[in-house]
Amino acid sequence: MAHVVAPLDQPSNYKDSQTRVDRQRQNDMLSKSTTLYIGNLSFYTTEEQIYELFTKCASPDDGGGIKRIIMGLDRNTRTPCGFCFVEYYTHAEALASMRYVSGTKLDERIIRCDLDLGYKEGRQFGRGKSGGQVRDEHRQDYDPGRGGWGAQAQRLEIERRREVEERYADAQDGPGAVAGGGGDWKEAESTGNESRLKRGRSPEDEGDNTRLQRSRAEEDVDAERM
Amino acid sequence: MSYDRPHRGGGNRRRHRDDYDDRRRDVYESPAEKLKAAIIKFGEVDVVEELPRLEKSIRESTPYAIPNLSEAFRIAVTEQPFKIPHYAALLRRLHDSTDEVPTAEDTSLGKQILEDFWKGFQAYLDKLAWRETRLCIHFFAHLTVAKLISADSMFGLLQSFTAVLEEFGVSHGRAKKAAVCAAEGLMIAGPILKASSAERVQEIISAIQAYNDTVTSPKWLIGPILKMYSDEGSSSSADELLDVVLQALKTLDESDFAETASSFSQPYASFPDPDLASFTPFNLPSVLVPPEVIELDGLATDSGEDAQVKKEEWPEYFLRLFDNDVTPDPKTPAGYAVHSGLIDLLDIFEVNRKECARLLLEFPKWTIPGTFKPKPGGTVVPEPVPGKDWQLESTVIENVLGAYFVLPESSHKSIYYIGLITELCKLSPSTVGPAVGKSIRKLYGTLGDGLDVEVARRFAEWFAVHMSNFGFQWVWKEWIPDLSLTVQHPRRAFMRRALEFEIRLSYHDRILKTLPEEMQAPENRTIGEQAPGPNFEYDDPAKPHHDAALAVLNLFRGRAKAEDVISHLDTLKATLETSDDGGVVNADGLIRSIAIQSLLHIGSRSFSHLLNAIERYLPLLRNIASAGASTVGGSGNAEAKVDILTASAAFWKYNRHMVAIVFDKLMQYQIVDPSDVVGWTFINRAEIRELSEATGPLSLSAFEWDLLKGALDKANGRVMIARRKVTALRKEEDDTRARVKASGEDGSAMDVDAEVKTDETPAVDSPALTTALKAFASLTREQKGALSRTLDGFVSCLAPGSTDLNPNPHSRVVISEVGWNERSGWEKDQWNAWETWGWYRQFCRSYAPYLRNYSTTLWTVSFAKFDGSTDPAADLLKKTWNVATGQE
Repeated sequence: MAHVVAPLDQPSNYKDSQTRVDRQRQNDMLSKSTTLYIGNLSFYTTEEQIYELFTKCASPDDGGGIKRIIMGLDRNTRTPCGFCFVEYYTHAEALASMRYVSGTKLDERIIRCDLDLGYKEGRQFGRGKSGGQVRDEHRQDYDPGRGGWGAQAQRLEIERRREVEERYADAQDGPGAVAGGGGDWKEAESTGNESRLKRGRSPEDEGDNTRLQRSRAEEDVDAERM
Repeated sequence: MSYDRPHRGGGNRRRHRDDYDDRRRDVYESPAEKLKAAIIKFGEVDVVEELPRLEKSIRESTPYAIPNLSEAFRIAVTEQPFKIPHYAALLRRLHDSTDEVPTAEDTSLGKQILEDFWKGFQAYLDKLAWRETRLCIHFFAHLTVAKLISADSMFGLLQSFTAVLEEFGVSHGRAKKAAVCAAEGLMIAGPILKASSAERVQEIISAIQAYNDTVTSPKWLIGPILKMYSDEGSSSSADELLDVVLQALKTLDESDFAETASSFSQPYASFPDPDLASFTPFNLPSVLVPPEVIELDGLATDSGEDAQVKKEEWPEYFLRLFDNDVTPDPKTPAGYAVHSGLIDLLDIFEVNRKECARLLLEFPKWTIPGTFKPKPGGTVVPEPVPGKDWQLESTVIENVLGAYFVLPESSHKSIYYIGLITELCKLSPSTVGPAVGKSIRKLYGTLGDGLDVEVARRFAEWFAVHMSNFGFQWVWKEWIPDLSLTVQHPRRAFMRRALEFEIRLSYHDRILKTLPEEMQAPENRTIGEQAPGPNFEYDDPAKPHHDAALAVLNLFRGRAKAEDVISHLDTLKATLETSDDGGVVNADGLIRSIAIQSLLHIGSRSFSHLLNAIERYLPLLRNIASAGASTVGGSGNAEAKVDILTASAAFWKYNRHMVAIVFDKLMQYQIVDPSDVVGWTFINRAEIRELSEATGPLSLSAFEWDLLKGALDKANGRVMIARRKVTALRKEEDDTRARVKASGEDGSAMDVDAEVKTDETPAVDSPALTTALKAFASLTREQKGALSRTLDGFVSCLAPGSTDLNPNPHSRVVISEVGWNERSGWEKDQWNAWETWGWYRQFCRSYAPYLRNYSTTLWTVSFAKFDGSTDPAADLLKKTWNVATGQE
């Protein structure tokens, strides 16, 4: 059905400046991607609200569902900074979100979805100078859902908010900081105690031995998405 | 979004120049592409004005690239069905010879295009692309009226489709689509066809009628308005697809298709008839509708049942909300044309809901003038056509909702229809908004008068998401009088559910503020008093075992190792069992409750925290689930798993959303199995009174249904994944073997003996395939178990034996006609029983594709005990089952 209108499930031409893959490879990855970047969230929106909306695009009877949600956090304050990643089990579910949810409201803000290459360690943090998303540093308007005025006033807002909101104060860095979300069904092991007690890491865990070299840490990619 | 932002342009940009360049290249359009685009865009401004111009540019595009032209027609016809009559007019003009370009008949441009178009039609038919096939038939039907296609060959085409209805064992999905193809073709081409042969018209109608007469039982199970005591499916406020097709067709036939001209646009009607001396109409070749492809992967369950899943086997009911003078009655020819035109738009433009909304609101442009009320403020106000003059927005919303409420499931995800209505409202708030409001009120009004429970659940879901997009502005106060209804009355259940769904998308305080005081009042039980937070039972120092629980919680907080927590719990258990006051009766249960609640406590901050907590302590969870017997593989200990589910539900008893999420993840991480969740939902759930509306006698509300659905979908989804894995591995191995064989042949092409030897080698499955097959066997077993426990649960809820605990005494009353007619006096238990019956129906019809595979075993397990029984509840249970599994 692509002749008469453009489908809404096409990825934007955003390119993660910190990824080392070329555009061809990136397009291949996006054509199988199960992960969405969600932007323009209110800083106050919770993962459960996100779960509720995005579950509506899930196909559990096809082996799908929401695998995990990774809340984007301010690097310094460890508070939500307006974006997240939603990872499904299937590509079709990510496409459904692009078609049906992107451009609708969550928590009274119009959110935007984009197909994403997949979560990599460290991407849960904002890449702006202040710790949040770069787009908030350039912002001139007053946005109560995003901590008031731009980056400067925002600091005060966040300070105030910290009193009540310490949900992610325990957010960790490094490998294994973010849950894998559970993999495919496996026949239960019938082995002894010892192997059962080993921490079962799903193969999808972002163990990430191939950490990407990060030379241009200040380059904000998430800002470009908007 | 733009990469041209002025403040950008550092070195980084340049490095990626190549990446961007390949996107920014200007698209060069060849003349052929331009012409194709022009054909597809035909009529965007003024279809009548454009016709001669487009004809001219096509004629001038010599030498003709016929495939390009016919492809443009094919795309136009199958993707813009509202313009089909105009494409028929265009083709007709291209067929005629003109003064400037006299064409001999064999070189007629129109004919060449039509011949090539036919190839495309044949390809759609071969793929059984039903919608495209049907829309091509529309095109042919218009061309028949435009005298370009012979009536005889058009009859032949339509009768190839009615032939499908007589196939032995034809599936309903296939028959339904074939019948609609034939019927719609006949509606449009009727004026010519009837004049040619009234007898053949009658044959087509009779064939559809005869088929439709055989599908009465499924209709009883699938109508959106429940009348459980009656055998009839029909209802005045819902129309079934084949029923309306037949009615519209018969109405047309009675007047010899005089109404076709006022139902379907015929822009070619004014063209002079072709000169029959020099013209032979095109004869459509004869076709055969190919049989459905059955994928034979030979995968059966370990007890030999077929494990294929086949959906779309049901009649389609569309709920009507408005009167016939507001929105068209699809049983009339003109009403059917509008209905099917709008439903086609919904399906075709599913990929872009914004464009779909725009096209829906522009729909009147393509209908016969006077079909819809003119837009206010228009310059020319046409005379209203009697019997038409419908309201566009109400019509659109009624059809979108009608498609959304199709049972057992809509063709697309709920959120598509919901998002589409949002876009419609955004495009024209002042006209669509009121239509949405009226629809909500109409639907609400049917609650309590038999609106199906699944439709009611979808209604609540739509309501909540819609309100979430429009500031949660609803005039709740108009429903205040209904607070006097009994607490489980469908209207009150709707209000509670809608508010619960709104809170999930927003937050408690925000939603509370949107309500009038009467609804906020806790005694009216419409919304919770407080935000739905966690409930750690051992939090209060005065509670028993507070200290023990705190110690466990602190271990988790301090990120103690799983094995250390396990040994701590072992010690704690020993202490509890030998304490001074004689020991705790169920120390195992208590330990599980403390451990699970403490773990959920550290995971209660967010969904991610929950996942982290579970992943960090998987060994502990497995240890608990297997009752400490960690060498036992697999299924764990049933009682321990019930305790885990009970502790989780108790922890989140004020937040049912979290109960569903936790259960889902416990299944995902294989701590519990789907059948454990099913069993728990029917039996143990009642222990936590705060959790459920359906306490007291065994019964199910929408919340329990959601838990069941979550478990069943998980079981079915796993089988689906396992099946795909086996198929992929088999294909891989077949390919490898073929390659080995081929290379062997290459090496010793002359060596006949060697080849024979290769063939004799028995195929040995790789370890990966063996594992995948084993997983498939385990998972189909689990699937069957989960389905069986669900059926059994419903049976004991709805036809309780005299010895069953806590039976609902009303389950037999609510299904009788007398009982139903006395519903104004029903209390909580009666409505609960009625709703449980509703969920049983939804279970049978929506899981029918899976249930069919196991129908013999499941029947024996759950229904054999009713042999010879005259219990009306047992009869209805069996009847519902038989209809769903296709045995009645």
